[in-house]
Amino acid sequence: MDITLNEDHVMLRDTALSFAQGALTKARIRELETTEHGFDTGVWQEMTQMGWAAACFPEKYGGAEASLFELALIVEALGNGAVPSPIFSTVIESGFLLLDAASAPQKDEWLQRIAEGEALLTVALMEANGGLRPQDVKAAIVRAGNGFRIDGTKAFVRDAGAADGIISLVRSGERPEDLTLALVPKDAKGVSMRRMPAAGGEALWEVAFNGVEVNADAIVSEMGGAWPWATRLLLRGAAFKSAELVGIGGAALDLTVEYAKQRVQFGKPIGSFQGVQHHCAEMYRDLEVSRLLSWQASSSMGAGLAGEREVAMAKAKASQCIPALTRTAHQIHGAIAYYRDYPLELYYHRALAAQAAYGDAAYHRRTLARLLTSDKNSFRGADPHELPVHYF
Amino acid sequence: MEFQLNAEEAAFRDEVRAFLRRELTPEVFAAHRDTTEQGMWTADFTKAFRRKLGAAGYLGMGWPKEYGGGGRSRIYQAILWDEMEWHRAPGLDRSMTYIPNAVMTFGSDAQKAALLPKIICGEISWFVGYSEPEAGSDLANLKTRAVADGDDFVITGQKAFSSDAHMADYGWVAARTDPNSERHKGLSMFIVDMKSPGVTIARHPTLAGWTHHSVHFDNVRVPRSMLVGELHQGWKVVMGAIDFERAALASPGLVNYQFDRLLAWCAHGRDGGERPIDDPVVQDTLVRLAIEAEGGRIMSYWLASLHARGQYPQHETSLALLVKRETARLFDEAAMDLLGPYAPLRAGAPHAQLEGEVEVEYRDHLYFQFAAGGFDITRNVVAQRGLKLPR
Repeated sequence: MDITLNEDHVMLRDTALSFAQGALTKARIRELETTEHGFDTGVWQEMTQMGWAAACFPEKYGGAEASLFELALIVEALGNGAVPSPIFSTVIESGFLLLDAASAPQKDEWLQRIAEGEALLTVALMEANGGLRPQDVKAAIVRAGNGFRIDGTKAFVRDAGAADGIISLVRSGERPEDLTLALVPKDAKGVSMRRMPAAGGEALWEVAFNGVEVNADAIVSEMGGAWPWATRLLLRGAAFKSAELVGIGGAALDLTVEYAKQRVQFGKPIGSFQGVQHHCAEMYRDLEVSRLLSWQASSSMGAGLAGEREVAMAKAKASQCIPALTRTAHQIHGAIAYYRDYPLELYYHRALAAQAAYGDAAYHRRTLARLLTSDKNSFRGADPHELPVHYF
Repeated sequence: MEFQLNAEEAAFRDEVRAFLRRELTPEVFAAHRDTTEQGMWTADFTKAFRRKLGAAGYLGMGWPKEYGGGGRSRIYQAILWDEMEWHRAPGLDRSMTYIPNAVMTFGSDAQKAALLPKIICGEISWFVGYSEPEAGSDLANLKTRAVADGDDFVITGQKAFSSDAHMADYGWVAARTDPNSERHKGLSMFIVDMKSPGVTIARHPTLAGWTHHSVHFDNVRVPRSMLVGELHQGWKVVMGAIDFERAALASPGLVNYQFDRLLAWCAHGRDGGERPIDDPVVQDTLVRLAIEAEGGRIMSYWLASLHARGQYPQHETSLALLVKRETARLFDEAAMDLLGPYAPLRAGAPHAQLEGEVEVEYRDHLYFQFAAGGFDITRNVVAQRGLKLPR
């Protein structure tokens, strides 16, 4: 056991933080929230040049074969800097999905271009019902000639407006898990979309497929084989969102502590008041617990659903704590941070958006309840004691 | 970054588990458990068990080899503490954690030579004489005086809230040596033989059912050789070793035991009734507790990892202790909630659940809220030392 950052981790974290905090002015970030795509393409180019898009990819696709934990340190830093980017849609959703499930030609077509910042992809999982279960998928794919036709509407699709293709989870049979992934080019006939304006400028889209025809080679993995890949995508998404939430929380706490040191009322810095100190100590407590759970989550993922318990714990905790932390941060700041030109509001909004992504706290507690009731021992971690039954 | 025990660490954990299960059988629990003692075991059994820990090499396993220790990393000590707490073993206290570390850090060569061989065998027990009637949260307000007289110091004063003083062979006592000093200046640390003339111990029954103690020093003569560190520099000694004790107190074993016990209870229907665990509300409660317990567990091993890498976490140990104890209180509260009508039943009552332990702990753990700093004082420490907020 060694729960510490090694020298490479520290260097990576510091580099990423320094970039994330300096990449964009806060005014530019607010401006980006009003744009169609929501992120700065120049900044994304810089990130890909640093190798961040392909950090975990194999070398043959321009990657550095870094660990998921190392990418999580980068994502944590991006959360800290409130940097909008397509890293979730293009890398964490699509890139890993293609690595997991795609054919060699599909990988060859997309991964190198993702690595170089020349292509953006996204994944359309959810629909208007907001569910994350297989039975919640209604949009359907049927055979049509030599290819397929897709009808239905997806929702909550990240960065769909900017993406070159949308890997869509669609129904190919009647049983709940008869689901298929199809890569739909954004300019395919019958695709229409509209923005779902959301907190923090999150670029969520509703994407409608109206008789969209795709070729047989658009299918990712095999017909009816999509759900296991979708669950892995959700797992990774939740792990990296918990890392982003930790970054968001860290920035909100830093702003608050700095403000509490400087702001003088009643003749003293407000940070000398115990009421304020106790708030700050609890924010810090929740942040550090969330950080350690998040580190464990990204370190635990591997084959299949390895790390399911750890990821669910991390996302449940961060989804609950970090928005609460930003609310307390506003409490300590008072009116000044209610104005948009004060940076705290960026984090207030991003925490709201991030807690909802890839399952909110209740969703992940439901996952944990399922694990608890199906296997008490695996639920209790790697080395459980025998349950103390001498009482009965 | 590695969150799992490696093979050698896991083997050590298994060894410790086997030792504890062998030594702490249900028969041993039945014979020696004693809720009138703070440690929940009889004083005799606690002392006997301390010697067994010594004989097994556990007391000195983390000490440097020059003091006869095993030189093993803090990860191993954390595993030992974790397992001892989970198995509710006696002896995980200041005599094993705080005092030996303080003696090694601040003691004279003669003190080390005289005391460490006895400590490592588990032959001696200690009490820590810091708190006083007027010096609780505000420790620097302490009034006990030590006056130089020939080759001795003469100590007079009152120590309060003195855990396990009645079974202690020695006291680790802070006293004011400069009568004109204020606050944390002018204090010195002494090792006091508890058999010295002038030492008297008073008993104070607590609401938890166990008896606490206070210690009165009436012109107690202590040889100058038992001054620890430099004269008037006692505050350094107070602060210097406290993080080690906090790290031990922040062990996750207790909370994991609370979880496992509550889970076992919820998975077990009473008198043919429904199992609580089949109720989604109960599941949600257990899941929320599990997340907090896991956070505390990792935080504890995070501290051990930092120590093992030669780093010196400071306020982080206070934070970890706060997390552990707040989480333990969450479990006390949740157990009250889940046990319903059984919750207030005391051990031995008809239909009492879990041998009445949950009711005992609901009272016992109340001290977590004020001892070793307590929740609010610890929040001050974290805010001021960790976040550098102004005093």
